[in-house]
Amino acid sequence: MLEVRELDAFHGHAQALWGVDLAVGDAEVVSVIGPNGAGKSTLVCAVAGLLRTVRGRILVDGHDLTTVAAHRVCERGVAIVPEGRRVFGHLTVHENLLLGAHRRGARSGHRATLAEVHELFPRLAERATQPARNLSGGEQQMLAIGRALMARPRMLLLDEPSLGLAPVVLDEVFAAVRAIHAGGVSVLLVEQDIERALAVSGRAYLLAEGRVVTAGPVDQLRDDPQVRRSVLGQ
Amino acid sequence: MSAVQAALTGALLGGLYAMMAVGLSVSWGMLRVINLAHFGMILLGSYLSFALATSWQVDPLLTLLVTVPLLAALGAALHWVYERTGLVEFTSLLVSFGVMIIMIQLVHNIWSADFRRLAPELNRYGSGSWFVGELAFPLPTLVAFGAGVVLIGGGWLLLRTTFLGRALRAFAEDRDMAAAYGIDHRRLGMLLAGASGATAAVAGTLWALGNTLVPDAPFEWIGIVFAVVILGGIGQVLGTLAAGVLVGALTSVASVLWESTTSLLVVFLVIIIALLLRPAGLFVRGAAR
Ligand SMILES: Nc1ncnc2c1ncn2[C@@H]1O[C@H](COP(=O)(O)OP(=O)(O)OP(=O)(O)O)[C@@H](O)[C@H]1O
Ligand SMILES: [Mg+2]
Repeated sequence: MLEVRELDAFHGHAQALWGVDLAVGDAEVVSVIGPNGAGKSTLVCAVAGLLRTVRGRILVDGHDLTTVAAHRVCERGVAIVPEGRRVFGHLTVHENLLLGAHRRGARSGHRATLAEVHELFPRLAERATQPARNLSGGEQQMLAIGRALMARPRMLLLDEPSLGLAPVVLDEVFAAVRAIHAGGVSVLLVEQDIERALAVSGRAYLLAEGRVVTAGPVDQLRDDPQVRRSVLGQ
Repeated sequence: MSAVQAALTGALLGGLYAMMAVGLSVSWGMLRVINLAHFGMILLGSYLSFALATSWQVDPLLTLLVTVPLLAALGAALHWVYERTGLVEFTSLLVSFGVMIIMIQLVHNIWSADFRRLAPELNRYGSGSWFVGELAFPLPTLVAFGAGVVLIGGGWLLLRTTFLGRALRAFAEDRDMAAAYGIDHRRLGMLLAGASGATAAVAGTLWALGNTLVPDAPFEWIGIVFAVVILGGIGQVLGTLAAGVLVGALTSVASVLWESTTSLLVVFLVIIIALLLRPAGLFVRGAAR
């Protein structure tokens, strides 16, 4: 589904990723973990097309998207739930969801998708007419995920969905990730909450200082001393 | 003239100010360009309407069939140049001021500085009034007001209810996220700039219906129209309409009560006070957008 090869990424002149290799298979959940500033968000933005100062290869279904603009990447079925949620605060909940279905591939079936999203997050149906800025953090996270699902993605990028959420809400968010996976969507999950992340993933990558330190099946990574150091180091 | 009649006439004229302001407001709010060339385009629109109606001997409203697409294309082309040169709000102010001056000069060279006015036999809307009791509704301003309400209201509905309108509002708020959800900012920007150019064409024609044309007219418009844009809330379509009506009524009433220099002073004092109290615009709830 997604293949990243020898990716270098830059913020201005500052390099944030060095030769990152990563793959996500069809309907696979893969975690990217690592300390603050490791370059996790940079990786997610590069895949979504939001960062174009990159070198290397980003392939989705074999299509080279390395230099393709974000709105075209979206047409390929990649949807992002960005760090900090970034819902459209002036738009209502309902409008945010419809906006998720803006891309051509998602527009015609948007009613059916909306029903699915409401089933996954009933709270969003209750809050439909509220401007998104009035929502709580947890509700905004549900909205950000719901908006992404409205795009009918084949590849979902989740950047720290647990950030600043209460445990009850966390359960709901991770349950949603499971459900999304069960629906056949590939997921790239960036998380600081390593236990929860590994619990929903098949494989994981440990990123530090812009490089992949180690990668493998989650069972193997749980006991990896480098992962433990990285966890405890936070 | 009584104060009530003055308020009415002014409010109707305000619809025309709003029509001039709405394109400016939308490109400021959504494209982050303060496009002073918009005034130049309104001027061009008014003269083109005059020239075409005169040479073809047709109803001036029919000239919109030519001026609307023409100025829409000009607006989009200008936006393309602005994008290419990577303008930000402040530099756009300077560059588009230059463009406006060039347009004024162009009008000056083609039509000279002589006063121009649509011939009464062509312009069915040029004079006369409708009466309701004692109150007069001057026809040219009434037509301008009606067109302003219909077009601005229609624009508002489009923004509220269509996929495109939602895309525009999302784009105004967070360009990157809008792009990540499939919104092509280049296409959208050109479309919006084109629509804004079209409103300039309409405003120009409406102006020509009731006014004598002079090349320096933009300098007369700028103060009032900017006040309307800012009071209405930048990028707020309905707010612009309401602010236009308020500013129009205020200006007109002030001009009845005081001599012209004093009345302008009063108008801008009121506007400044209003902005101190509501910096994001009169009708914007909460924070500025
Ligand atoms: N917009 C930016 N401009 C300049 N440098 C940036 C920018 N965004 C990130 N960086 C730098 O790039 C590096 C990687 O940042 P990134 O946000 O990708 O890390 P992260 O792993 O997502 O961290 P966190 O866990 O805090 O979200 C950091 O050194 C950061 O300072
Ligand atoms: Mg991050």
